[in-house]
Amino acid sequence: MILFLQNILSFIILVLTQVLVLNNIQFLGFINPYIYMLFILSLPVKLQRWITLLLGFALGITIDIFSNTLGLHAFSTVFISFFRNDVIKLFTTIEEGSNPIPSFHSFGVGNYIKYVVALVLMHHTILFFLEAFSFTHIWLIIFKILLSSTVSILIIFAIRSFSKK
Amino acid sequence: MRNLINFLIQYSVLFLFLLLEIISFSLIVNYQDYQKSVFLTSSNSVVSGLYKVSNSVVEFFNLRTANDNLSEENTALKNQIIDLQNQMAALQPKVKDDSLNFKVPPQAEYQLISAKVINNSTNKLLNYITINKGSRDGIRVDMGVINDEGAVGIVKNVSDKYAVIIPVLNQKTELSCKFKKSNYTGPLSWDGFDYRFAQLNDIARHVEFSLGDTLVTTGFAGSFPEGVPVGTIENFKMREGEQYYDIKVKLAVNFRTLSHVKIINYLNFEELRDLEKKAEEQ
Repeated sequence: MILFLQNILSFIILVLTQVLVLNNIQFLGFINPYIYMLFILSLPVKLQRWITLLLGFALGITIDIFSNTLGLHAFSTVFISFFRNDVIKLFTTIEEGSNPIPSFHSFGVGNYIKYVVALVLMHHTILFFLEAFSFTHIWLIIFKILLSSTVSILIIFAIRSFSKK
Repeated sequence: MRNLINFLIQYSVLFLFLLLEIISFSLIVNYQDYQKSVFLTSSNSVVSGLYKVSNSVVEFFNLRTANDNLSEENTALKNQIIDLQNQMAALQPKVKDDSLNFKVPPQAEYQLISAKVINNSTNKLLNYITINKGSRDGIRVDMGVINDEGAVGIVKNVSDKYAVIIPVLNQKTELSCKFKKSNYTGPLSWDGFDYRFAQLNDIARHVEFSLGDTLVTTGFAGSFPEGVPVGTIENFKMREGEQYYDIKVKLAVNFRTLSHVKIINYLNFEELRDLEKKAEEQ
């Protein structure tokens, strides 16, 4: 129950931080960090996949409504929600019967970094290409993906390193 | 039958995934239609309410520049009044002497509605601006939006109290504009690189212009009156074998600091549109 409330709270806080603060960061005109998917990244490892997918969709649509980009964030968030389990399996070995929440502590620093980098890159790549919806400015898009992902990943690490466990 | 059910259960997550992705994708593709459903964009009242609160905080920090701009505009307007008063004073005796000189002033065709920007972005490929006036204040879809510096964009959708503007800084916008000097027209578009610059297309090889020339709106679409400044020519080049110039335009409006805008209500808009429609049908 406490976990449930904690997640609702983190959902709201992440959405508000995203739309009120980070969407207004216009550093160099290229960087727009997205950290709201930290919510999906921090769900318990053994949570049933269909719940993760629905949560991802809800989160994406909420961000979309705030930023006038209907479907864009929903698509990318559902995508990483689906592949989250595969990425976890790829980088870590979870003991039978345990159900940890992904963090530096439970995954180990190296594995957690790999996990976050993989999913954030995946998310940003899909997001920016869908936003442009063409390959005309491919280098501009790749540049934006790399810069924004770097900043997003750093912010996510900063947030995670403050939380206990 | 049992096999089928087993199959469905086994892959249910995959199906859910595909279903959600298809929904999202169709939302993206049909976005133009969904613009009409005000509910799902930032002109919906919950979202705009939130933005309004956030804006009231941010606005505080921009007060100084806003004040400077206002006082500058104030001075300019006062100067204009003085000029006009002088002209009127000069005309007065003549009117009295010869009543034939008196002219009926043309009926005002345009009216300005001022509004405040409550959400704005410049760093995406598709930027939108939300303002705090809506259909209640007489704003309609397709009205032009300007500020003290020049043309900003066009009203895209309207709710009761709020409206969303699609600015020049959006890859879906094309603003028809022309050279102030020579009246050659061409569409202005934005490539997503820099919020200060846009591109002017379809200017043929034989057109003469120079750096620093001013671009203004054409007034064809009825959204803007003729002659609202859009920008100045920053740079241009002619590629080998091409028929058209690549022209880089420095936009007149600084979109990064946009805080107050004016919406242009063209009073004869309906009449103009009906007339044009009739002509097309015949």
